Amino acid sequence: MTAPGPEGGDRGRAGELVRQARHALRIARWEALSGVGGLDRRTLLSALVAVLAIAGVGAAVAVAGTPQDANVYRVGVAHDSPYYEPVRQDPTLAVRDPDYDDFADRKLEVIITRETIQANDTRKGRAAAAEVKSAVRRYNERLMEAEAERGNETAAFPVSVDLRYVDRGGSGLGGTGDGSGGGDGDGDGGGDGGDGSSGSGGAGGDGRATDGGGFGLPSIGAETLFGSSGGRPSDIRPPFPFVSLVLAFAFVVPMNFVIQAYASSILGERTNRRGELTLIAPVSPATIVAGKTLPYFGAMIGIATLTALALGGGIVSVAAVVPIALLFLSAAFVGGLLARSHKELTFVLVTVSVSVTAYVFVPAVFTNVTPIAVISPLTMVVRDLEGVAVSAPTFLFSTVPMLVASGVLFYLGGGLYREEDLFARKPIPEKILDALAAPIRGPTSVGAVTVLLIPFVLLAELLAVAVLFVLPLSLSLPLLLSALATVEEVGKSVHVLAGFERARFDRSLRSAAVVGAASGTGFFIAEKVVVVGQVVGLEQLDAGRALQRTAGTGLGESASPIVLLGLLLAPLFLHVVTAVVSAVGASRGRRAYVLGLAGAVVVHTLYNLTVVITLVR
Amino acid sequence: MIEAVDLRKEYADVVAVEGSTFSVEPGEIFGLVGPNGAGKTTTLKMLAGLIEPTAGRATVAGYDSQDREMRRRLGFLPEDSPLYADMTATSYLRFFADLYDVPRDVADERIDRTLDRLDLDARDRPLGNVSKGMKRKVAIARSLVNDPDVLVYDEPASGLDPLTTNAIVEFVEELSARRTVLFSAHDLHQVERLCDRVAIMLDGRIVAQGTIEEIRADHGTVEYRVDTSVQVDGAERVDGTDASGERYRTTVEDMAAVEDVRTAAQEAGGELLDVRTREPSLEDVFLAVAEGSNA
Repeated sequence: MTAPGPEGGDRGRAGELVRQARHALRIARWEALSGVGGLDRRTLLSALVAVLAIAGVGAAVAVAGTPQDANVYRVGVAHDSPYYEPVRQDPTLAVRDPDYDDFADRKLEVIITRETIQANDTRKGRAAAAEVKSAVRRYNERLMEAEAERGNETAAFPVSVDLRYVDRGGSGLGGTGDGSGGGDGDGDGGGDGGDGSSGSGGAGGDGRATDGGGFGLPSIGAETLFGSSGGRPSDIRPPFPFVSLVLAFAFVVPMNFVIQAYASSILGERTNRRGELTLIAPVSPATIVAGKTLPYFGAMIGIATLTALALGGGIVSVAAVVPIALLFLSAAFVGGLLARSHKELTFVLVTVSVSVTAYVFVPAVFTNVTPIAVISPLTMVVRDLEGVAVSAPTFLFSTVPMLVASGVLFYLGGGLYREEDLFARKPIPEKILDALAAPIRGPTSVGAVTVLLIPFVLLAELLAVAVLFVLPLSLSLPLLLSALATVEEVGKSVHVLAGFERARFDRSLRSAAVVGAASGTGFFIAEKVVVVGQVVGLEQLDAGRALQRTAGTGLGESASPIVLLGLLLAPLFLHVVTAVVSAVGASRGRRAYVLGLAGAVVVHTLYNLTVVITLVR
Repeated sequence: MIEAVDLRKEYADVVAVEGSTFSVEPGEIFGLVGPNGAGKTTTLKMLAGLIEPTAGRATVAGYDSQDREMRRRLGFLPEDSPLYADMTATSYLRFFADLYDVPRDVADERIDRTLDRLDLDARDRPLGNVSKGMKRKVAIARSLVNDPDVLVYDEPASGLDPLTTNAIVEFVEELSARRTVLFSAHDLHQVERLCDRVAIMLDGRIVAQGTIEEIRADHGTVEYRVDTSVQVDGAERVDGTDASGERYRTTVEDMAAVEDVRTAAQEAGGELLDVRTREPSLEDVFLAVAEGSNA
C-alpha cells in the first residue's frame, strides 16, 4: 500500500533514503544535545576541562621537565673557566664561586679548577659529577651543531654514518631479506662532506623508505618525527620503537573514553524501555543506530584529526583511524546491547577495550621492526606521521578487514535492535545466539553468515600470527596451526549452533549435514577470496607462510597441476567435513556441540600439520 | 480500521498470544481486558508493529502492521512511557514530530494545543522533574504529534491518581470523536464507561468479544434479590433492620426461584417484601468468564 501518510510526501526509494538520512541526522543532533551517554552537559564540560588540564600539565612536564630538578647541584666554577658556560646553561646545575672551604663543608657538590674537577664522595656528589659530564657533552654537541650550521659541516662532524638495519637470517624479522645490505652502510660519504647532506641519502637512512623496498627502518634513532635526521655517530639510538608507541597511544586512548559514553547511551535506551518510543516512530532501527552512533564517530574522527594535525599527519592518518573508530564503536554497540546492567557493561567494555587496543596498538608499536605490524591500521598512522609512504594495497590490507568486521558487528547488533531483544534481560550468551540466529532462515543463509564471519576469523588469525611469530618455529608452528584450526572451526559452527538453539532447523542428522556442508562451503569460498597474506607479503614470516599453506595458497610454481588442484580442493573437503562434525554436535545440544567442535579442531589441526610439514617442507 | 486475524506469538516454549481474531471499526472505541499475562500488551504491540507475529496477520488503517508507513497513521502509547529526563516536554515532542516529518509550524501549533488541552504547564521543565501524571500526559501528547487516525493505548491511566485518571479518560473519550481507539485497561469501569465493544483475553486467547450487552447476555446472568420478612433457606439477614422490621434477602437467578422463595416465606408465616433485579457489571461478566475458562 502506498497511500501517503498524514505528513511527509517523499516517495520512492531515493526519497526514503533521503528521509532516513534526515532522521539519522535529527537523532544524531538529539543524541549530541540531550546528553552524551547519559551524561549531562555540565558533567561533560567538567570532564573535558579535566582531560585538557591533565593533557596540558603532561605536555608542560614533557616539554619543560619538572621544576623540582632545577639547580639541584651546586658547582663551584670560575667565570673564566671553559666549563663555566656548560655549567651555567644546564638548568640542574647552580653556579657558585669555586671556594674550597665551601667544598669541604659540602656546600658545593662539585668544584672545578683549571687542573681538576672534584666531586664530593657522596651519592649526591657523584650524581652531580655525572650531570656536569653530561652538561659538558651536550654543550660540545651544541657547539658542533652551530659550527655545522655555519657551513663547516666537515670540520664539525668529520665522521658521517649511513646506517642500515639488515636481517640476521633468522625466522623473526624480515626473513626474505637478501642480506646484501650488510656491508653497505659503510659511511662512505664521510669524507665528501661540506654539502650538508650526510646521513640522509642512504636507503632507509632517512626513514622514508617506501613499501616497495620492504619495511625500511628509520636508520638514525627513532626521532625522525621530531626533526632529528642527522647522520652523526652521536645521533645513533637503539631502535626501540618509542615514537611509534607514543603515537599509537595518542590515537587509541581517546577512543576508549568515547566508547564508554556511547555504550552507556545504548544501554540507556534499554533501561526502562526508553528506546521503545523511537522504535514506534516511522524510522528504521538502522536509522536510529546510525543517528545514535554519528556523534561518537564524529568525536573520534575529530579527536584523531586534531591529533594528526598536531603531529603533522595527513589524510592517511585520519583515513586509517576510521576503521579503528568503527570497530571500537561497533564492538561497544554490541556490548551495549548485550549487557544487562552498567556493571555488566563495564566488564564488556573492558573486554572490548583490551581486545581492540591489543589488536591495533601492539602491532603499531613495532611499525619499524616487523612487517606483521601492517595488520593494524594504526601502523598506517604511524607510518604517515613518520613520513613513510603507504601503498594502496598495504592500506587496504590493513584497514578493510577491520572495516568489514565492524560492518558485520553493526549488522548483527542491528538484528538485536528491536523490541523483542532490546528489552529482554537474557544472559549475554543467549543474546549472542539471538544475534547470530537472526539472519538465519535456511542452509543458504548459514553459508552467508559464515562468509560474514570471515573478517573476524581473519582478524583473530592475524592476531594469532602477531602474537606467535616471535616464538621459535618449533613452538610457534604447532601452536599457530592449532589456533588457526580453533578460530576457523568456531567461525564455521557458532551460528549453526545458534540456528539449532533457536529452532531454525529441526534437530536431525540430515539437517546437521546440510547446514554443516553449507557452512563449510561458504567458508571455503570466502577463504579463497580473501587469500590471506599474499596481498602485502606476510610470506616474509614463517607464521604468515603457514597461514597461507593451510588455506591452500602460496605454494608457488613448483607443484604440479594435479597436486595444485588437489590442494585447492582439499580445503573444501576439510571445511565441509569438520563443519558437519560440529553441526552434528550442535544438533544434539550445547555439550555435544563442544565435543563436536573439539573433534573438528583436532581433525583440522592434523590437516594443517600434514599440509605444512609434509607438503611444504 | 484495525483487523487481527489468527494472531499468534510464541516466545521459546511460551505461547503469549494464540489465534486472536478481532476487528475494530472506524470511529469505534474497542477495549481489551484481561488479567496480567493474558496477552493484551503483546497483542497491542503486534498491532503497532513492534513485535512480529509468529503467525497470523494484522492490518491497521489498511497497512500491514509491519509496514513502517503504518506508523504514520498510528498513535501508540505503551504501558510504560519512560521519557528522557533531561529533555523538556516541548523539545521532546518536537523531536518526535521531526521523526514523523511534521512541519515545524504545524508541530508547534499541534503540541501547544494538545498540552493546553491536557493542562500541562511545565513545558520547559526537564521531564525528570515533573510528576508521574505529567509524564503520562506528555506521553499521550507524543502519541498525537502525527495526528493519527488510529490510537492504540496500553493502560493509558494505570497507576495515576483519581483526578488525573479521570482527566485522561475524558481526554481519550474526546479523542474517540474522530479517531479509532483500541485500548487495554485493568479498570473495568473505565472500559465499561468508554468502550463500544470489548474483547476479554485469558491465557493468550480471546474468550469473549462484542458489545458489553452482548457479552453480558452470553456470559452474565441477571440476579433477583428477594427480600422477605422471615428467614427462609439460603436467606441472609439484611443489616440495619430492627427486630420489629426484620428483612432477609435471598439472591436467585430466575422468576421460578422467586416464586419458590415467596411460597417458603408464606409457609413460615411471613411475606415477600420486595423483588429487585440487578444487571451484571463487566467485572461480574469478566469473573464469570474467567471462572468458566478455568473450570
